[in-house]
Amino acid sequence: MERTYFHVDMDAFFVSVEELYDPSLKGKPVVVGGKPNERGVVAAASYAARKFGVHSAMPLRTAAKMCPQAVFVEGHPERYREYSGRVHTVLEKFSPLVEMASIDEAYLDMTGTERLHGPALRAAHLLHETMKRETNLNCSIGIAGARVVAKICSDQAKPNGVLWIVPGAEAAFLAPLEIRRMPGVGKVTEQKLQEMGIRLVGELAKWDVEKVREELGEWAATLAEKARGTDAGGWYDTAIGENSDAKSISHEHTFSRDEGDTQALESMLARLSEMVCRRLREQKLHARKIELKLRFADFTTITRGRTVEHPTQLDTEVFGIVRELFRANRKAGSMIRLLGVKVASFEDAPAEQLALLDAGRDDRMRTALTTMDKLRDKFGENAVSLATGMKARFREKTHDNPAALPGKKKSRESRDSGHKK
Amino acid sequence: MEITISKFDLLKELTATQGVVERKTTIPILSNFLFEAADGVLTITATDLDLSLRTSCDAIVKKDGSCTIPARKLYDYVKLLGDGDISIKLLENHWVQIRAGRSNTKMVGMARSNFPSVPTFPATGAVKIPAAVLKMLISKTIFAISNEESRYTLNGALMVLKPESITMVATDGHRLAHIVKEGASFDVSGEMKTLVPKKAMAELSSLLNNADIEFVEFAKDESTLFFRIGSRLLTSRQLTGQFPNYEAVLPKENTRIVPVRCADLQAAIQRVAQFADERSGAIRIRLEKNEMKISSSSTETGESEDSIETENTGEPMTIGFNSAYLLDFLKAAETEGVRLEFKDAQSAGQMRPEGDEEYKYRYVVMPMRI
Repeated sequence: MERTYFHVDMDAFFVSVEELYDPSLKGKPVVVGGKPNERGVVAAASYAARKFGVHSAMPLRTAAKMCPQAVFVEGHPERYREYSGRVHTVLEKFSPLVEMASIDEAYLDMTGTERLHGPALRAAHLLHETMKRETNLNCSIGIAGARVVAKICSDQAKPNGVLWIVPGAEAAFLAPLEIRRMPGVGKVTEQKLQEMGIRLVGELAKWDVEKVREELGEWAATLAEKARGTDAGGWYDTAIGENSDAKSISHEHTFSRDEGDTQALESMLARLSEMVCRRLREQKLHARKIELKLRFADFTTITRGRTVEHPTQLDTEVFGIVRELFRANRKAGSMIRLLGVKVASFEDAPAEQLALLDAGRDDRMRTALTTMDKLRDKFGENAVSLATGMKARFREKTHDNPAALPGKKKSRESRDSGHKK
Repeated sequence: MEITISKFDLLKELTATQGVVERKTTIPILSNFLFEAADGVLTITATDLDLSLRTSCDAIVKKDGSCTIPARKLYDYVKLLGDGDISIKLLENHWVQIRAGRSNTKMVGMARSNFPSVPTFPATGAVKIPAAVLKMLISKTIFAISNEESRYTLNGALMVLKPESITMVATDGHRLAHIVKEGASFDVSGEMKTLVPKKAMAELSSLLNNADIEFVEFAKDESTLFFRIGSRLLTSRQLTGQFPNYEAVLPKENTRIVPVRCADLQAAIQRVAQFADERSGAIRIRLEKNEMKISSSSTETGESEDSIETENTGEPMTIGFNSAYLLDFLKAAETEGVRLEFKDAQSAGQMRPEGDEEYKYRYVVMPMRI
């Protein structure tokens, strides 16, 4: 059956959300991510700033050089998460099959919704209006029979536009585009392809899929398929709504100056463990695997993990293990650039094994943590923390955790806790 | 160094020491045996820095001396040699020549001075423990020791020696195995408490299985535990730290007593556990009038129920357990009957073998919330 996909991409999402909180930013060159003299990268730039060549993932200091008059604002991940939740709520009114691809974009399977919303373009118009009404944000919508094409369309439709490629016209639409427009083609791949003399998507489409699979490998075969307007590879291998569970949750922190003080470092680990566990509880998950990431001043990076016998979502337990891994793997006195805490191997609510020693301790801790979560919902993330983590309160940098929630789809629970009624 | 030894004697000692050789090769010398020959005796030493094992056997010593030989390679090679005498000779540059019949091999060892020094048995304070008792205590508790490295003090069992009794306790924080042998006599004053690491217990158990001796000599100093088993000496680094106050968690009010045949219960749990949630292994035990029902269910595999006839009065009660924990005990119990003792669904259950007069053995296991 012919399918209809929407790719909805929020226009300059982080900047637009900031503008809602501070309307004076409107129309100005705005850079979200941090102060111009800070370490770190641009999380988002307004259209006015983009004219100066500023783009996301560019170091903040470079952005400041290119566009000194820009307004630099700290990112507010909690605001973006909240608005992302609202966006998701709007999208779910249009299709039950919504897949958040990141914090500010989503795929919708609109197949079979014509009776409800009318033809695709009318549905897109309705979606635009509803989005503006409910969130005050603009978005661009790409419509096509394949998600990869829809994504390219939404990019072409920016800002605040709609682009619909009628079935059958995909190849013609894609052919003249530069290869970097294709999802999955980054700098490295682009260069590799250019070395082969390929600049346009149309040239990729001429590849014989089976032949390049043999000669160049799976990545090339996937690209060739995408270039013909077929969903293939990675993200596109599973249908919307399928395999929607998160695989891991992680939080990282890059110190603005390399840190050598053990207490400060452990304090940060406590904070990161708290953040990770809060997300675990939001999504009602228990983790069996706990991992520490350490990046030293010289950029060497190690990860060390441990699997626990009984899955957990308790800050103290995760922190205890992470700290132990940290102590075992940090060379004494070494300077640390980045710390990260990751949990994986999720289980829903396992049948809970009661403890023989310290009976009731976990229960007490759970009650305390649930209360802490409620306080944070009400008064903000820094309202309350473990004593060890207090010294390490920091403004969460937007680029450290660009996507609010991992995995393909936000769970209902987490969305609800994002904005309490 | 130059010796001649029978293959049979050498292989026996090499087999005994294999368990202690370090498998990882981060410190190469630890994957070597230390051979020392003097006065008609060959002494073989292996260590992984946590454990060390010294064993000795008679040999014809033509020239005193010592050398190190790659342990695994030597073991594999000696196994392949024909029966008869083997001669071992240290050559230059740590090369070692091994000859047997028409076979001739040279292996490259390492400098003897690199081999870590191994603790020596203290001159005083040794306690004699009957080998059979120690073996029994280990087999009844070792399975309950925690494998989680982070729970450091639970990575071993607590051995308590008193003048008239010996006790061994192990727990992983969810279940606890406790066994006492009374009516014995030990040369200790007051109470001697020792945390014995799991690895040492496993090694000890295998050494005891292969030795025909009556007593094990046990001693310790500040950092090391010593177990002398005949001609073999096992040493282990001590676990430091406080073993939890286990006496506080031994149930005192478990008045719902259900006697069952060990084999029946084991078989029923094994069947039902096939349909338990794979990760948690949770099963339900339901006490009804003169009947005990064991059941499980999982979204993936289905559901299953077994029922055992038993004397039981009182209100029906349901309690959840990790099936693996119960099976561990039933496998170790080795008696015809066991008694299950419950209080309620939130409190620890207790299991005891019936009819064993010599040992007081009990197993405490916390339920699961299901």
